[in-house]
Parts: sequence; C-alpha cells; structure tokens
Amino acid sequence: MVLRLTGMQKRFGGVQALVKGDLEVCAGEVHLLLGENGAGKSTLVKIAAGMIRPDGGEIVWQGRRVLFRNPAEAQRAGIAMVHQESLLAQHLTVAENVWLGREPSNGWGVLRRGAIESATRRLIEEHGFPLRPEWRVDRLGPAGRQLVEICRAVAHQANLLIFDEPTSALSDRESSEVLRIVRDLKLRGLAVIYITHRMSELRAAGDRATVLRDGSTVFTAPMKEAGDDELIRHMAGREAEGVFTRTPLPPGKELLRVEGLSRRGVLEDINLSVRAGEIVGIAGLMGSGRTELCRALFGAEPAGAGRILVDGRPVQIDTPRKAVEAGIALAPEDRQSHGLAAGRPVGENITLPSIERFSPGGVIDLGRERAETNWIAGRLRLKASSLDQEAGRLSGGNQQKAVIAKWVMRGARVFLFDEPSRGIDIGAKREVFEMMDELARQGAAVLMVSSEMQELTGIADRILVMKDGRIAAELPRHASQEQILSAATMGGAV
Amino acid sequence: MLQRILPFLTLIALAAALALATPHFLTGMNLASLFRQTAVINIMALGVTLVIVAGGIDLSVGSMMALASLLGCMAMERGSGIAVGILAGVAAGAAFGLANGVIITRMKLNPFIVTLGALGIYRGLALMISGGVPVHGLPKEFSYLGEGAVAGVPFVLILLAACGCAVHFLLVRTRMGRYAFAIGSNPGAAFYAGIPVAFHTTAVYALCGLMTGLAGMVESSRLMTAQPTSGQGYELQAIAAVVIGGGSLRGGEGSAAGTLVGAMIMGLLSNGSDLLGISPYLQQAIIGAVIILAVFLDELRKRRMGEAR
Repeated sequence: MVLRLTGMQKRFGGVQALVKGDLEVCAGEVHLLLGENGAGKSTLVKIAAGMIRPDGGEIVWQGRRVLFRNPAEAQRAGIAMVHQESLLAQHLTVAENVWLGREPSNGWGVLRRGAIESATRRLIEEHGFPLRPEWRVDRLGPAGRQLVEICRAVAHQANLLIFDEPTSALSDRESSEVLRIVRDLKLRGLAVIYITHRMSELRAAGDRATVLRDGSTVFTAPMKEAGDDELIRHMAGREAEGVFTRTPLPPGKELLRVEGLSRRGVLEDINLSVRAGEIVGIAGLMGSGRTELCRALFGAEPAGAGRILVDGRPVQIDTPRKAVEAGIALAPEDRQSHGLAAGRPVGENITLPSIERFSPGGVIDLGRERAETNWIAGRLRLKASSLDQEAGRLSGGNQQKAVIAKWVMRGARVFLFDEPSRGIDIGAKREVFEMMDELARQGAAVLMVSSEMQELTGIADRILVMKDGRIAAELPRHASQEQILSAATMGGAV
Repeated sequence: MLQRILPFLTLIALAAALALATPHFLTGMNLASLFRQTAVINIMALGVTLVIVAGGIDLSVGSMMALASLLGCMAMERGSGIAVGILAGVAAGAAFGLANGVIITRMKLNPFIVTLGALGIYRGLALMISGGVPVHGLPKEFSYLGEGAVAGVPFVLILLAACGCAVHFLLVRTRMGRYAFAIGSNPGAAFYAGIPVAFHTTAVYALCGLMTGLAGMVESSRLMTAQPTSGQGYELQAIAAVVIGGGSLRGGEGSAAGTLVGAMIMGLLSNGSDLLGISPYLQQAIIGAVIILAVFLDELRKRRMGEAR
C-alpha cells in the first residue's frame, strides 16, 4: 500500500464536502473513485495532491504520516495530478512543458534546449505517446494536452498519478488511448487513482473501486467482485432503478422533416422525419456528425444544401433566431458555454428566448414574467433556492431542467437534445428522461443524440445511426447495443 | 449581501467622515459645486455601464466627448440656437457610439482595440475641425445646463438623477437591458437563445455615445467653451466608477445605482482632499488605490461563493 487516507474531513463555508473520506491505494493498481457530483471525490484527491488542506484525518504516504502544504510538496514526494482542465503553458512546446520548473541548465541559468528535447523524446518513445517534443501545446487538442500532463508526471518520477475525469472532454478513440497509457503505467508499478463518470470505462481500466457518497466512503471492493448495479446502488444510496424505459405512443403528424441536408465535409445528404409524440435517437461515434446535425438544424452552423420543414412548412434556418422562431429548441451538449448564462438568475435564463412575449413595447411586465416562470419551474420540478439564484449554482440536473424550461416557455415543438445526460447525477438522469417522455406525450417531436447506448435503447422509439456525416442505418426500438455499434463502425446493413 | 452594499456603506462613511473632519464639507455651496464637478463623469459613466454590462468596453468616450461637444458648440456659435446645438452634440455622440458598435459587431473585432483606435481618431478629428483652438462665443443662456438651479437644486443634479433613473429602468425593466446582461454574461448562450446579439451590442454602444454627447454639452456649458482637448482621461474615470460600483469587466454585472455611488466615491475623495489640503498629486494615487481595493473586495466575495460550490 502506498497511500492511505483515513477519516478525511473538509468544510467549505457552509458545505461539509468531506465527512469521513477513506481511501487506500496500492502500487500497481488502478483504483477507481466513484460517486455522484458533489460526493467529495475531487476534494479527497485534491487533499492527497496537496491542493487543499484537510480539516481533519490522517494521510499516510509510503509508510510515513504526511501533510502536504502545497502541490509542489506532494509532487516532490511523488504524487502528481492530471487535471480535468489542462494546466499547461499554452505557448510553450511539449518538451518545455514537461520540464517546466525543473529545466536542466548550465550553471548560469541558460537552458539546455537540446537536453530537454532529447529527454522528452526518450520518454515519449518509451511509453508510445503520440506526441513530439517540439510541438506547441496550444496546437494540441484536449487529449494531447492530457498526454503532456501524464508525460510530465512520469518525467518527475511520480509514484502515484491521480486522474480527475480525464476523458470527459475526449472522443472515444482518444479515451482509449489515455486508458491504454493508464494500464501501461500500472504495469510499470505505478499507483493510479482514477475518477470517472463513464460506466464503460470502469471495467476497461479499474482493479478496485471506492465509492463516496455525501462526503463519506461507503464501499470499497475489487472490481471483479462488484457488479454495476451494486456500484450504482452505493453511489445513489438507493436501489438501482435501472435505466428509464418509455412506452411509445402512436405517433402523430410529422413535425420535422429534413431532406438532403448537407454541409461540405461534415454532413452528407441527411434525410429524416420526426412525428409529434416521437423520440428519435441518434447514435454514432464521436466525429460521425451527430452534434453537427443538431447544430445545422438549429442554425448555429447552417447547412449548405437541403431543406428543413417544420410542421409541413419549409423554413430557412441560417441563425438560431430563425430556428427558435420556427419552434425548434436545442439543449446543447455544453450547457456552460451555450445553454445558460451562468451568472444570471435562473428566472432570467428561463424567459430569455421568450421575453418579447412579456415586453410589448420593450418594457418587461415583471409580475407576469415571474408568475409564468414560477409555474413552469414548478411543473418541471426544478429545484432552486429561488428563481433569483444564479443558474451556474444549480446542480447539473437542475441546469438541464432550466434549459428545458426555457424552451417550454418559448412554446417550442421540436426539441433537439445533444447528450442530455452528460454531467448529470444518476438520479437526475432518470428525471431528465422522464421529462423528455413528457414533452413527447404533450405533442413535441424529440431528436436525441447520445453516446450512451443504454439510454438510446431505453428511450428512443427508433434509432438513426450516423457514420461519416451520413445516416448509415435506421434501427428499431430495443435494437441491441451490438447492432448499433456495428452500424456505427461498419455502416450500412440495416 | 453585505459586500453587495459595501460601496453604498463606503460612500456614507466617507461623507460622514468628511462632515466631521471639516466644517466646509456640508455647506450648500460645496455640495452644489461637488455635484456640478462630478456630473460630467457621472453621466458618462452611466453610459459606459451599459457597455460594460453587455461585456464590452469603450475607451473612446473621453475624446468622443470632446468631438461631440465641439460639433454642438460650433453649431451654436453659428447661430443654430441652444436647443438645436445641444441636440446636435447629443446626436453626434450617439452617431460615434453607433460607429464603434457597428465596427465591433460587423468586423468582429475586440472592443478594446476598436475603441482604443477610436480614441485616437475622435481626438484627431476634434483637433482638426477646430484647428486646435477652443470654440468661444456661446449664447449666455447656454450656461443654464451646467450652472443653473431649480429652487436651489443644481440643474445638473436633476439631469443626472433623470439619467440614472433612465439607465436603471433600461437595465432592470426592459428587454434591451435583459439582453445586455445575457450577452455580457454568456454571448454563446444568448446567441443560442435566438437573441439578435449584434443588434443589441451595437445599440448599447450607441446609447453610451448618446450619454457621452450629453456629458460633453454639460461640460461645455459649465466652462462656456468647447475645447478640442477636453475629456482626456475621463474614460478611465468612468470605467473606474463602474468597477467601484460593482460592475465587472468580464461582463454581465453592473448597475446604475452602483455606478453613481462609484462616481460619487471618487468625487468625494477628490473634493475631500481639496478641503483637507491634501496635495492633488497624492489624490490621484489615493483614487487609484481605491479602485484596486474595490475590485479586490469584489473578487473576495466571488471567490468565497465559488469555493462553497
């Protein structure tokens, strides 16, 4: 055992982030740290990495009791953290970043550039990183940056590497590259702590798992002995409710029709139709054009060719404004940058697209606005301390509800959901799906993009599989995950 | 909550301290001259508040004020009449603001750079059309705008209150204000909500220009002249007033009341220093320190809220 945390406590203002955090990590293992958002996972690992000072508890590192006062001390002791958002110097090269703060130099402080580059090249070759020492970091994607951070940790001779949701911003192929390197590090005898929300990664990477709930460690076991249901139950603190399964309706009239939609190099001859009361799923690998299809239908990146018909009428959609006017709504994948004005009150966010209704002549009728917002928030069971609360302070699930509320308020009839469950607790996911079902029951047409095949097979009435910008296959409700995957990778074959 | 009203408390404490420290502070004459002196920056700062709330910045307001007031006063000098002259100055300001907004949104350029360039352009134009010489010969009655009084209350104070109420109403009660906050807080979310972002961004710059033109006419009326070199450094004072009053240069935050309090704090500091015989050189340093302190306190509040998340 290299690291043992016992009874860690930490309080931020009025929030007790950690009540009793326990964690034991051995050399040569990948230890998964699981739990819902806010369970205290990040706080616990930040204590281990010297980024946060605990209020109580004991840290034993390599047999000695320690307390790291800052990240530098933890790094010197051999603990390194790979961050969710990369902390690299953007304008420097890979090699310069790897050696940042420990540059080999001659006695006069002059850097030995050649030495840095060749040392980095050796590391890269040894571990098979798809990088080159002279590349500038700002040209790399999120995956490349993460690899630079890993490379840096290895160069600093870390014995324990901590990954805080490393793959949340990565494509499937990039994720598997990161996972490959994680497994390689483990085989070299390093200890790894790995935080993730992606169920599919658990089995691929983990040897043991520890589950945190509400700031306390509630479960720890080897992955071989722990079932998915058991893990979910411990995370949520209740019996696993399974994935939401919807009972389809007899579909109504066609609300959305797309004919020959194309955008050079991204989308090719997309034809689809969604009826009122229908939920149509869109599957496909990262880069297959799923998100781009949503953005084209919403006018954020207009298509070059093709026709879009809403409720039987052709509409010209070249900006989101036109889409909104046509009754189309988008719940984007990235709520922080496209979905909500995080610093503004929830109420203002909900009425943003429909404020014209409350402001004939430009002056807002605040009373009527508040009354209608309250009504919608209540109907969607949106939990906020008040409608004046900043939208950014809501939980992921309630943020998604606020986005939905915004479009319900606008009276949208065609809903595009791009990865609706991303960044949302397991308990809240179900609620979001119930809400999508409810929208369909009230006569909306719903198009839903998701990477989680379980979600698609549980909710969608039929599934369109995209590959290379085309719709490669249409699968019925309850298609198997193997069918979806084979259509997404091989195409064709309905 | 305490920190949100901190600027107000500071203002009250500052006024109380000055009233205790010197008998010359709480006199009708001193207060009237204080309001007259600060009115120009105050009106300008109200306009800049709109721009900053919408996530922009306008560095050109100082020289824009000089150019706009020069145009208005030249019209009066040529016998246009007082009302037309004032309107001409205000309209010129609005047109320059509109130009800033159009360049920023159509050419998709950084507002800092565009208005930095505009700062030079407007100053240069002001010097050119005036030949570097101040405009004199303004009608006597024009002085009422800056120096007149209604039942003992300086007219500029009434004008300022009206402007403050208008900007407050605009920000809090109108669609345009709501959109300004949304655009400043997250332009991506505003665009995705179907808001015409470019139009409203441009409108905010035009309104800022309009208030800058008005501020310029007040300044000319007080001095009974239009100087091509007037308003130098006013842009920084206006921005400082917004920031001291709780506005954020990252956009999405700011209020009319906050800006007025911020501008008054700066006015009191300089008025108080005069009364107490503190060197005007030191005054500048004091005001600079207050700006840093105000932003620091605001950051503390945000950091604490961020950590509790």
